[in-house]
Amino acid sequence: MVGYTEKIKEIAGRLLKECTVDMVVGFRKGTMPMMNEPCFATTPEAVDTLMWDSNCGINLANYLTNRKEKVAVIAKGCDSRNIVTHIIENKIKRDQVYIVGVPCTGMIDKRKITGMVAGEILEVSETENTIKVKTADAETLFEKTEVLQQNCSLCIHRNPVIHDEMVADMVQEQTDVDRYADIRKIEEMEPEDKWQFFDDLLSPCIRCYACRNACPLCYCPTCFVDEAKPQWVGKGQDPMDVRTFHFLRAYHCAGRCTDCGACERACPVGINMRLLTRKLEKDCQEQFGWEAGMSLDQRPALDVYQANDPGAFIK
Amino acid sequence: MELMGVEPDRLHFSWISSAESTKFVNVVKEVTEKVKAIGPNNHFIKDTAKVA
Amino acid sequence: MTLVKIDKKNWAEGLKAAAAAYRLYGPVKEKDYHQFKALEKGETPEFDMVNTRLSPKALLFPQSEEMLEYSLDESRDDHHIMKEVARDDSPRAVIGIRPCDAKSTLLVKLNFDTPDVKDPYWLNAYQTTTFIGMACDSPLSTCFCTTAGCGPYHEEGLDMLVMDREDAYLAKILTDKGKAFADAAGWKAASDNKTAFESGKAAAEGRMVSSIKTDNLTATDLLELHGATFWEDIAFSCINCGTCTFSCPTCWCFDIQDEVHGKSGVRMKNWDSCMFPIFTVHTTGHNPRDTKTQRVRQRFMHKLKYFVDKYDAGIMCVGCGRCVRQCPVNIDIRRVCELMNSFKPADACAAQG
Repeated sequence: MVGYTEKIKEIAGRLLKECTVDMVVGFRKGTMPMMNEPCFATTPEAVDTLMWDSNCGINLANYLTNRKEKVAVIAKGCDSRNIVTHIIENKIKRDQVYIVGVPCTGMIDKRKITGMVAGEILEVSETENTIKVKTADAETLFEKTEVLQQNCSLCIHRNPVIHDEMVADMVQEQTDVDRYADIRKIEEMEPEDKWQFFDDLLSPCIRCYACRNACPLCYCPTCFVDEAKPQWVGKGQDPMDVRTFHFLRAYHCAGRCTDCGACERACPVGINMRLLTRKLEKDCQEQFGWEAGMSLDQRPALDVYQANDPGAFIK
Repeated sequence: MELMGVEPDRLHFSWISSAESTKFVNVVKEVTEKVKAIGPNNHFIKDTAKVA
Repeated sequence: MTLVKIDKKNWAEGLKAAAAAYRLYGPVKEKDYHQFKALEKGETPEFDMVNTRLSPKALLFPQSEEMLEYSLDESRDDHHIMKEVARDDSPRAVIGIRPCDAKSTLLVKLNFDTPDVKDPYWLNAYQTTTFIGMACDSPLSTCFCTTAGCGPYHEEGLDMLVMDREDAYLAKILTDKGKAFADAAGWKAASDNKTAFESGKAAAEGRMVSSIKTDNLTATDLLELHGATFWEDIAFSCINCGTCTFSCPTCWCFDIQDEVHGKSGVRMKNWDSCMFPIFTVHTTGHNPRDTKTQRVRQRFMHKLKYFVDKYDAGIMCVGCGRCVRQCPVNIDIRRVCELMNSFKPADACAAQG
């Protein structure tokens, strides 16, 4: 993805100069290694801060809902599928958004990398295929493929499915990817072990809702966990409440989630909540042949009733 | 739900019209037997909140 | 101020002895991070870290805490009576709190212990706790405590400050509570090493790479700062989660919730966050801070201006850097502080809100 930064600046500058859009949403370099900050530019001069690298894991489609302006957004494959879902769900109009498509070779996993080196990481730099990590005492070189976020290593839609302009040529899609190997492993466990597995997985949760808020699909004016009359879910740290928040949120994203990984990336305590969302993605795939956000012309599988919807489980 | 640890025999789905009383009786019997065979449920239960 | 030398061999024994009189808490490794937890019998705190992921504020101010309970069960003597939940008020000691987190307890105390209003839950926990601090020799690049009113060897808020001297610990007893703990632990070997703490402090402070400037915050006009044009840019990326507020040792907001189960119920308090959209929702449905920019502005104004003006005790931040490291979108309080501190009122736009 070398060279994307310059192209993004060029495109953004042009779009603003020609008043094609009122605002461009992209990333600027963060103050921490492996972090970038979503930002916006409204003047051609301001586009100089825009950049792109393998730390742009937050889903910018999250910043589009309910916007009144004409907005350009830098979107990788997964983000573009969320934009499709937004359009289908009437959260933004197609002609309101100018999609600057980024063919993406994946985002790196900052938690994984932190666990692979000793000492505080001071700087991370990258080339097309390598990641260099500097601590006070050492420099380590990784193959980018070794340190990708899990959702990126399993990605089968790296290229934007919808775009008004592309930052670069399409990249090769990965084939023969088994997206659900880890889900199947859990499915094979005994019920008691499954229960314990999720208990352990969710125990660090502090109900900060970073996962929910980073998710472009979670746009309800009042989330079910914020309701008080009636109160569906307790707001404290009771383990049953924490579990309910996570699995119910996964259910609400079923058939809509594109596995962009923003939820896991945002989580301050490193919870792998994609195990829940991907199980539902697997079910939608296997039972309805459905993949979220691939086309503007199809309503999501869980949105419509078809005569041939799977019904074998209903006795 | 199964993924999270609910035993498969604890959750059942059935379409029964109010005119299908025999089917209703049979389904209720079957579900009751299956659930009794697994034993009491001790998951997905919240008493008063477990907190500090 | 007494100085006591503690051989590392006597450290664990001392803690075991103290455990007879105190419930002990300290940093414990969990998976790939450290967290403050109650220490099991014989367990010693683990210091192979700079600081814990979440602050120790949960020890004085649990994330979910039951306040009151009641039962409608008429077979009970206390039916229909709402009463305080039984609490364990026996002495506690926190072993290995960093000076930044210790200083934060004093900032939080300004809120929970005022002449007019006191929070009995927090105050009770605070008063029954002895704070044994561990000086910080290798700050992270995100630590900026020295310019946030404290430092790696800062003593405010501590009853004892311990520094690591390779083969032994050197402890500076700062208060009567600290002395009582040292006695309970049997740590009495006096030391006359007067320079160790000074040189340790100077070395640690010399390793600090990050800093903020706060000299103009008091003088800057509040309303002008509130009306500054940079808030939109700062707030844009924010996703209004609770990560910064929950990991911050000086954030103190809470929400009171009732939970009913059958014939019994509790009133509990949970951490709340000014970042949450419903934080300021009124019963009428009106929400004075219903936009993200208003909420983000509020948080930084509180930390770096309102608190400064109200208490004249510096900023409401101890430079621990947790929010910087954990914010999902990398909003950096150091950057915001720079924008606020260098703000000139001529830049302010006329419109407020």
